[in-house]
Amino acid sequence: MTTPFGCMGIAQIKAGLAAKEFSAAEVAKGTFARIAAVDETVHSFLETTEQMAAEAAARVDAAIAEGTFGEMGLLAGVPVAFKDNMNLLGTRTTCSSRMLENYVSPYTATCVENCLQAGCLPIGKLNMDEFAFGSSTETSAFGPTRNPWDLERVPGGSSGGSAAAVAAGLVCATLGSDTGGSIRQPGAFCGVVGVKPTYGTVSRYGVVAFGSSLDQVGPFARSVEDAALMMNVLAGRDPLDCTSQPCSADFTAVLAEGVRGMRIGVVPEFMEAEGLTAEVREGVAAAVEQLRQLGAEIVEVDLPHARAAMSAYYVLGPCEAFSNLARFDSVRYGYCDPGHTDLGSQYEASRAVGFGAEAKRRIMLGSYLLSAGVYDKYYYPAQQVRTLITQDYKRAYEQVDCILSPVAPRTAFKFGEIGDPTEMYLSDMFTISINIAGNGGMSVPVGLGSQTNLPVGVQLISPWFKDANMLQVAAALETVYGKAPVAPAFAEGGEA
Amino acid sequence: MKTLEEVFETWEAVIGLEIHAELTTLNTKMFCGCKLEFGAEPNTHTCPVCLGLPGALPVPNRAAIESIVLAGLATNCDIEKHSMFYRKNYMYPDMAKNFQTTQGPIAFCMRGHLELDVDGPAAKERYQLDKLAPGEASGNITRTEDGYVAHVGITRIHMEEDAGKMVHIGGGEGRIAGAKESLVDYNRAGTPLIELVTEPDLRTPEEARLFMQKLRQIYLAIGISDCSMEEGSLRCDGNVSLRRRGTTAFGTKTELKNMNSFKNLHDGLAYEICRQAQVLEEGGVIYQETRHWDPSAKRTIVMRVKETADDYRLFPEPDLAPYDLSDEFIERVRAKLPELPDQKAARYGATFGLSAYDARHLVDNRATADFFDECMALVAAEADGSKFAKPLANLIINDVTAYLNAKPEVELSATPLTPARAVELIRLVAGESISSKQAKQVFAAILEEDKDPEAIVEEKGMKQVSDTGAIEAVVDEVLAANPDKVAQYRDGKTGLMGFFVGQCMKAMRGQGNPKVINDLLASKLA
Repeated sequence: MTTPFGCMGIAQIKAGLAAKEFSAAEVAKGTFARIAAVDETVHSFLETTEQMAAEAAARVDAAIAEGTFGEMGLLAGVPVAFKDNMNLLGTRTTCSSRMLENYVSPYTATCVENCLQAGCLPIGKLNMDEFAFGSSTETSAFGPTRNPWDLERVPGGSSGGSAAAVAAGLVCATLGSDTGGSIRQPGAFCGVVGVKPTYGTVSRYGVVAFGSSLDQVGPFARSVEDAALMMNVLAGRDPLDCTSQPCSADFTAVLAEGVRGMRIGVVPEFMEAEGLTAEVREGVAAAVEQLRQLGAEIVEVDLPHARAAMSAYYVLGPCEAFSNLARFDSVRYGYCDPGHTDLGSQYEASRAVGFGAEAKRRIMLGSYLLSAGVYDKYYYPAQQVRTLITQDYKRAYEQVDCILSPVAPRTAFKFGEIGDPTEMYLSDMFTISINIAGNGGMSVPVGLGSQTNLPVGVQLISPWFKDANMLQVAAALETVYGKAPVAPAFAEGGEA
Repeated sequence: MKTLEEVFETWEAVIGLEIHAELTTLNTKMFCGCKLEFGAEPNTHTCPVCLGLPGALPVPNRAAIESIVLAGLATNCDIEKHSMFYRKNYMYPDMAKNFQTTQGPIAFCMRGHLELDVDGPAAKERYQLDKLAPGEASGNITRTEDGYVAHVGITRIHMEEDAGKMVHIGGGEGRIAGAKESLVDYNRAGTPLIELVTEPDLRTPEEARLFMQKLRQIYLAIGISDCSMEEGSLRCDGNVSLRRRGTTAFGTKTELKNMNSFKNLHDGLAYEICRQAQVLEEGGVIYQETRHWDPSAKRTIVMRVKETADDYRLFPEPDLAPYDLSDEFIERVRAKLPELPDQKAARYGATFGLSAYDARHLVDNRATADFFDECMALVAAEADGSKFAKPLANLIINDVTAYLNAKPEVELSATPLTPARAVELIRLVAGESISSKQAKQVFAAILEEDKDPEAIVEEKGMKQVSDTGAIEAVVDEVLAANPDKVAQYRDGKTGLMGFFVGQCMKAMRGQGNPKVINDLLASKLA
C-alpha cells in the first residue's frame, strides 16, 4: 500500500514530484480524498479549498513539464493548511466563531501569502478554539477537534486543528498561532513539532488578533527539518506589520550540527512544579539526559519571576483581546442580530449571540481591567512583571544557548475533563512566560508517557531572534527519538 | 440676557480650546497607504486597515510624525523624544476598529505657548484693560500702546487618526434625531489628525478667535494642513466656565461644538458666557455637558450631558512600537521650519520700518506675505528700495485684501496682479505720475484687463499733470470765475479751499497734481 501524501514529509513530496512519480494534481486530489475519508472523525478542517489547490497544482505541474520545478519555491507542490484565524482571499475566516461564520476574507495574510508564493497547495482552514481562547479546541463554535492519538481526548489548543491535521497524516505542514502556548501545547498533545518563533519573526498581518503583543505565527510539522523549512518560508520583515523584523537566517543550516558544547538550561522550579505529572517529568528528564549524553552542557538557570507570568498574562491578554474584538460589532460584517432599530441593542444582541462563553469572559475581564481606577492596579503592574520576566530570560541566556522545560503539565486530557476555566488556564503554565518575554519556543515530541501512553513533548526556548538554537537542539533530540510519527490509528493507508 | 460687557463686570470667563487639524498636505492616511482626498466618492479610499477588517495592522506614516514635530517646534513646544500611541476604546460605527489610535499622557509635543497680540476693537472685550499702563503686566497679559499681549499656554499637541464621516438620512438637517438610516463614509477614517489643547488661559471670545487665527497662520506657514474650517480640516471645540471676579476656583465647564468659522467661534463662546451668567445669577447650576452652537438661532443647545467622565479604557497600542525620536531627526525637522508669521512681522518692522499693525496684517495670510516679499525683492537693489514698503503694505492690506475677500475662490498668485505690476503702480504714484485716486483706478484695471500699469495710464490718458505752468493757468481761471468765493475765503471762510481744489481738478479731468494745485491756490489766495 502506498504512503498517503499527508504522511510524507516535505522532501519526500518534492522528490516524488521531481521524479514524476506523481503529479501535484495527484497530490492535491489524494490529500482531499484522505481528508474526506478521515477527517470526519478528527474534525480538524473547517473548510477545504479544492479549487485553489487545483490551480496551484496546475502551476506546479506546468513547471515540472517545462523543467523549471527546481526554480519554484521551497513548498512547490506541498500541501499546507492554515489555522482559521488567518485570512486567505476568498475563503471564510471564522476564527471558529458564530460571529464570523459567514465572513469571507477580502485579502490574504502575509504568512499565508508567503506559503502561496513558495508554491504550496493551499488545502484549507483548520479548527481552533474560538478566537484562539482556549487550550483544548473545545470552545470552537463548530465542534471540537479530536486528538488522533485518542479520539476521546482533546488535541490541545488553541491551534488544535493545525496539530491534529499533521498528527493524523492529513498534511505534512500547517500554520498555527500562539499567544500563550497555542502552538506548543497542541504540538505536545498531538506528538508533533510546533514552533512559536520569537515575537517579530513572522508577520502577523492578516492574522486575526487575540493579544497583539503576544501573538506569533508558526508551523507544525512531523520533523524538525520540515518545521525549519517552514520557518525559512515564514520569517522576515513585512512592511505591513511594523513589529516584524528582518531575518536572513537559514533555519535548516544548523540542524545537523548536534549539541556538543551547547549549554542548555533547565529550570528547577519548572521541573518541581505542582501539577506536573510524573510521566511528563520523567519524559522531560530523560530528554535532558539524552542531550547530556550527546555532549550538551546542562546548566541550572533561575527564572525567579516566571511564576508571575500566568497572572500577568491573564491581565495583558484579556485587555488586548477586549480591544481587538471590539471591531466585531455587527455593523460592517459578522453576525448581525436581526430586527433591531437602535445601535445599542443591535450591538448587545449580536455580540451576545455571536460570541461564545470564553470569548465573553475574556472581553468582560479586559473591559474591567482597563477601566478607570482598576487599570493602575492590574494593567500597569502586569507590564512591570513583564519587564521583570523579560530580564530573567535575558540574564539566563548569559549562561545558556537554549532552555528546556516541559510544554504542558500533563498529556492530552479527555473532553469535558477540565470544566473550570482557571484550571484550563494552567495548561499553559510552562508556555506563557515565553510569550510574555517574546522569546522563541517550540515543542518537540520525546516519546510516549509511561502512564497514559500518549505523546509527551519538551519545550525548547531560544534567546530573542536565535530561533535556530532551539531547532538545533530539537534536531538532536530527533536523532534519539525519531521523527514524529503519524498517530498509529491513522498511519496505515489512511484507515482510521 | 446681559451683554458680554455687562457679564464681565461680575464674571470672569475661563476658556480653553481643543483644536483639531487634519494633515491634509500629506499624501496618505495615518496608518495605511490609502490616499487622502476630500470629496471623493464615498468609501473609495479604503483598505483592510482603515476599514478595521479582522487581522489588519497599522503602519505609522512617518511624514505625519514630521508634521506634528514641525507643529510643536512652531508653537514653542518641548518635543518628547519618547512617546507612544494608545488605544482609546469606544464603540461607534464611524471608527471601524471601535478604538481610536491616539496618544497617552505623553504626546509628541508638550508645554508650548503662543504670544497673542490683541489690539483695536478686539482688546475692548478685556475687562478693565484701561487700568494697566503700557508695559504693565497683570496675570498672563502685558499692556501695549493699543491693546495687550496675552501669553497662552499650550498643554500638548498629540497625534491621532480621524474617524469616518456619518451621514444620517431622513432626519432634520442631517442630524441623527429622527433619521431613518445612517451611512458611514470611511474615506476620512484614518486621516492623520493633530489635536492641540490649550491651557485655560483665554479670557475673552476675541482672544479665542485670535488664537485660532494665529494657529491657522502658523499651520499654513509650515504647510501641514489646508486649514479649511468649512471643509472641517481645522476644527475647534471650546471649553468655557465662569467664576466670580476675584475668585480662583474654576466653575463647571461646558464643551462647545460646531464653531466652524472664526465668527462662530467668537459668537458661540460669547453666547455661552452670557447664558452661563444668566443661569448662575438666577441661582441655577451649570451642568457639565456638550453643547452645540446653532449660528442661525444664535444660541447653544445641549447635545449630551456628561454625568460621569467617559471611560475610554486607554492603554498602549500593542501593534505600534514606542517612539524614540533621535536628536538628529528633530534637528532635521527643525531645519525645515520656514520663517514663521511672528518672525516675518518682526523682520518687516526691523528691515522696512513697518508698524506692528501693518506687519501683522501682512502676515495674516501667507499669500499676501509672500507677495509682499516678492515685491520687496524686486526693489531690493535700489538705493531707497525700502521706501516702497509702506505704500506696498497699504496697497496689500487695503486694496488687495479687499479684492481677495470679495473673491474668496481666487488665489492671489493666479491674478493678473504680479509683484512687478504692483511695484510699478507704487512707482507711478511715488513719482507723482498719477494721483493716489488714479492709482485705485489703475489697480482695478490691472485686475480686469490684465495689462501693465504704464499701458493703462497711457491708454486712459490719466497721466497726472504736475507742470506748474499748466496748472497755474487753470488755477487763475478758477479764481477768476469765482470772485465772490475768493472774497469770502479772504474774509476767513477757509473751508472753501476744498471747493477751489475740486474746481481745478474738475477742469483738469482729475489729472492735476493735487499737491501742486494746493500750493498754487494757497499762495494766490494769501
